[in-house]
Amino acid sequence: MSPETNQPVSGAPDSRQSPAKSVTVPIWLMVLMFLLLYWGALYFDQNGAWFSAKVYAPYRTLDQVEAFQVSSGASDVFEQGKAVYNKPTCAACHQTGGQGSPGQFPPLAGSEWVNEPEPGRIIRLVLNGLQGPITVKGQSVNNVMVPWNVLSDQDIAAVLTYVRQNKEWGNNAPAVTPAQVKAVRDKIQKTHPGPFTPAELMKISPAD
Amino acid sequence: MNRGPLVFLAAFLALAASWSGFVLAPQIQIGRQQQETNVVNTAELYPQARPGLARQGLEVYRANGCAACHTQQIGQRGTDCEVILTDAGTNPIAVAEALVNAKVGISQASGAGLAAGLPKTILCGVTAEVAKAAVNAVRPTGAKAKIEIVPRGPDIARRWGPRRTVAADYLFDYPVMLGSQRVGPDLANVGLRPPDANWHLRHLYAPRLAVKDSIMPPYRFLFERKKIAQQPSPEALPLPAELAPPPGYEIIPKPQANALVAYLLSLRCNAPLFEAPLTPAMAPSAAAPTNAPAQ
Repeated sequence: MSPETNQPVSGAPDSRQSPAKSVTVPIWLMVLMFLLLYWGALYFDQNGAWFSAKVYAPYRTLDQVEAFQVSSGASDVFEQGKAVYNKPTCAACHQTGGQGSPGQFPPLAGSEWVNEPEPGRIIRLVLNGLQGPITVKGQSVNNVMVPWNVLSDQDIAAVLTYVRQNKEWGNNAPAVTPAQVKAVRDKIQKTHPGPFTPAELMKISPAD
Repeated sequence: MNRGPLVFLAAFLALAASWSGFVLAPQIQIGRQQQETNVVNTAELYPQARPGLARQGLEVYRANGCAACHTQQIGQRGTDCEVILTDAGTNPIAVAEALVNAKVGISQASGAGLAAGLPKTILCGVTAEVAKAAVNAVRPTGAKAKIEIVPRGPDIARRWGPRRTVAADYLFDYPVMLGSQRVGPDLANVGLRPPDANWHLRHLYAPRLAVKDSIMPPYRFLFERKKIAQQPSPEALPLPAELAPPPGYEIIPKPQANALVAYLLSLRCNAPLFEAPLTPAMAPSAAAPTNAPAQ
């Protein structure tokens, strides 16, 4: 370091000590970089599967992997019913295991109301709800069940099939079809808009 | 050098970015993977730890550098679906019409043709959507069809494995013997290929006895020559005259050889998993392990 470099010199500036000029990035380079970044983000979003550990090449998204899962076909209705049951519609009171809660909500597992060969009563009960004392598996419960007529015929048929054919719960009754639900819905829409009582249900023929 | 902090920061960021990508991200992704209930298959836990002898065999495999020439990873290029008609129902003509109307790539189908020779592959190499459309089209007519998932790729065409390998396949292996060079065939599912333990022992002792033109070196130090005490041991290798030991001696595999073979036979990688969907094959393939692509 020579002492004169610290002082401004009026002559030609020393090239080694010239003040750094501010570097301007060309605007086209900035735009290119942002476009690349944008493309990269899009590419990651479409092909990266968000770091899911279940997605390997050649699959690019979780949906693609799920599309190849083997479904047994016959149990589609059962699976749909399980989804409806646990939405939670029924599971909120009757529990996911169908055991209900003693004194408040009657069980569905092993219930004689669920396992009737003909589904006439249980369709009415689900569509319009229930009030009044009901005896299930020897235990009396006095509570209110809300009507579920907002559910489609398809959903009600599926959920009843799920409940009635659930071998894990010890139930084994024939499946319920959407047509059966629709028939009952059309029949009771005019004649019986409100909730049923168990006594009323017992008067109805199950096949009706 | 008055830009020290800036250079340090740049170097730090470059290293931190690669560390995040190569170490942190995989750790978050699969670092805590555990044995899972394999609902796709039979609700059994997958993967299972290798049995004790096979676990020791992994050490022999490692010690002898098998991974230098053999990989244990199967690639996959894509996945196809096949639709198989299992039951034509009572009205095959309606089934044929439904299939043509579903626009799944079948332009002509005759009822009699469909009804003959069931079960029958009616669609091959299609996407999952098309396969599901075909099954849904067939269902209302009373016929039954099922979908088979068929992974596709050069490794699978060589019959080195039914599907790609995934992290779960290696969960209990340490270190994981992935390998990087295929001087010999891939061994990811060698345990499912037909040859038995005796074949593997002979192959280790004299590779060309088992595979003509094999370039694998013999691993004879995994065997020992013993004097026949009273009568020949049942474990003795049956060898042709030019390799046979002198009269009164026999070649017996050492424990390492038996462990290595147990390890090889435990290599499978064939379970259908969620992340590697597959319709399991009914019978193991009859192809011998080879490097050549299947014809």
